[in-house]
Amino acid sequence: MYEYPAESRPEFDSAPLKVVVADDDAVQRAYISAILRKLGHEPHEALDGCQALELLRRISAKILVCDLDMPGLNGYELARQIREEPGDGYVHILMVTGQNQRLQRERALEAGVDDFMGKPVDTASLTARIRSADRLLRHEQLLLQRSAVLARAKERIEDDLRAAADAQRRLLPPAHKDVAGCKFHSAFKPSNILSGDMFGYYRICEGFTAFYAIDVAGHGVHASLMSVALGHLLTSELFRAHSFDGAGHPDPAALVSVLSDRFYREDGTEYFTMFCGMIEHGADRLHYCQAGYPSPYMLTRGGSVRQVGTGGFPVALLAGVPFETSVTSFAADEFLVLCSDGAMEAENRFGEPFDEMRVKAALAEAAAAPETIPDGVVSALERWRGGRTLDDDLTVLVCERTPKQ
Amino acid sequence: MIKTRLHDEYGICVVNPAVERLTAANATAFKEEVLALIDQKQDKLVIDLSDVSFLDSSGIGAMVGLLKRLGNRGEIVVCSLSSGVQQMFKITRMDRVFSSYSDANAAIAAIKERV
Repeated sequence: MYEYPAESRPEFDSAPLKVVVADDDAVQRAYISAILRKLGHEPHEALDGCQALELLRRISAKILVCDLDMPGLNGYELARQIREEPGDGYVHILMVTGQNQRLQRERALEAGVDDFMGKPVDTASLTARIRSADRLLRHEQLLLQRSAVLARAKERIEDDLRAAADAQRRLLPPAHKDVAGCKFHSAFKPSNILSGDMFGYYRICEGFTAFYAIDVAGHGVHASLMSVALGHLLTSELFRAHSFDGAGHPDPAALVSVLSDRFYREDGTEYFTMFCGMIEHGADRLHYCQAGYPSPYMLTRGGSVRQVGTGGFPVALLAGVPFETSVTSFAADEFLVLCSDGAMEAENRFGEPFDEMRVKAALAEAAAAPETIPDGVVSALERWRGGRTLDDDLTVLVCERTPKQ
Repeated sequence: MIKTRLHDEYGICVVNPAVERLTAANATAFKEEVLALIDQKQDKLVIDLSDVSFLDSSGIGAMVGLLKRLGNRGEIVVCSLSSGVQQMFKITRMDRVFSSYSDANAAIAAIKERV
């Protein structure tokens, strides 16, 4: 889908290379320049190290042929300076030294010189070395082009992900909404661009309001595709069809069983945790099925907190496991808070998790104003993380009862 | 990443994931490594979680993946659960799926008794 530029073959592609020739000896300079010209390259002469450096910068030449002994900056110092400069691209340095100067050459290598030629310089060895430098430069060029292609591809992929994230967000209800005797407040924070979380709520029939929160195992594209599929599937019609037992009693576990059967694969690894609740307004009761989702908190405006549920099998993880419907009281002045496990697990710089205690404390503190809880939990976690993004997706859903007076 | 100890006479293999966090970041690698053991006919596994302070839903998924692969050909138990991991096992009912022991020796003793 994304094409790389092909490797170019040097013998068919010999654009002249700019080569800086630095030598205080005019004869030597002219001699080397003449050879370079004959090879089809473009020599630029410098009388000393400082000039060479200035010239390299100005014409952005990528090859330097230099003498070791020069006034101003000598060969070592020049090489060192070039290596210290951040510059765009690598400068290939060829140094001309006396024959068999082992110590000089070792020092020069350390200073950043790439290759050597003994004096007197002959055409064959200069040609071979320029060709070798040329190959490396072309290779570098190719890598640059490739990384540009990758950067563009990455940008396109991220654009696609952002478009998918928008689509995911549009599936979610607004941050605050009144639904049949309840007010819902929510916050939704993907750990990356996309999230594996999903939630929703609706009036299902006279006297009943239903809601759910889902956390697909893992995160990223894989998890988000499943969460979006679930978001589309879970409608008030589906609740009406599957969340009452034969006698007409609310039974959210029956709905969860349907989902588990539908998504379970013998050879699969995808599954999700879910909390599925049905509020029976007339009886001040919450019927719920907890399927591996963290236990939610039931609060009063006074700030007392109790946890709801002790656990349950996740959905589509194992075949044939039972799901249970439980009941708890849900008084008109109470409200329920669901937090995905992204909240408890968020670690600060010292690897310490935010944990249940801090979640509870944050909730109790904001109990007088339930509508502030979702954003409050998000900012408490942001402070805890010290600005680092969350490792896991986060959902906070608050369900407040607002009975008619 | 896993470290294994084999108790030859009963063919029990103690597997230590040797990570502090078994999460989406490494759960697949962990599963693949243990699956390779299962494919080498290791069918009595003790997953020693003493180093693991935190395990997320992907970690649970990996554990269940192992259980599914083993089927009823063998046995897989866990030991040395930290309080956080224990809580995760409880909330997802994995405490009903995996027998859990206080440490590797207790797990080995329990499997031996059943052989």
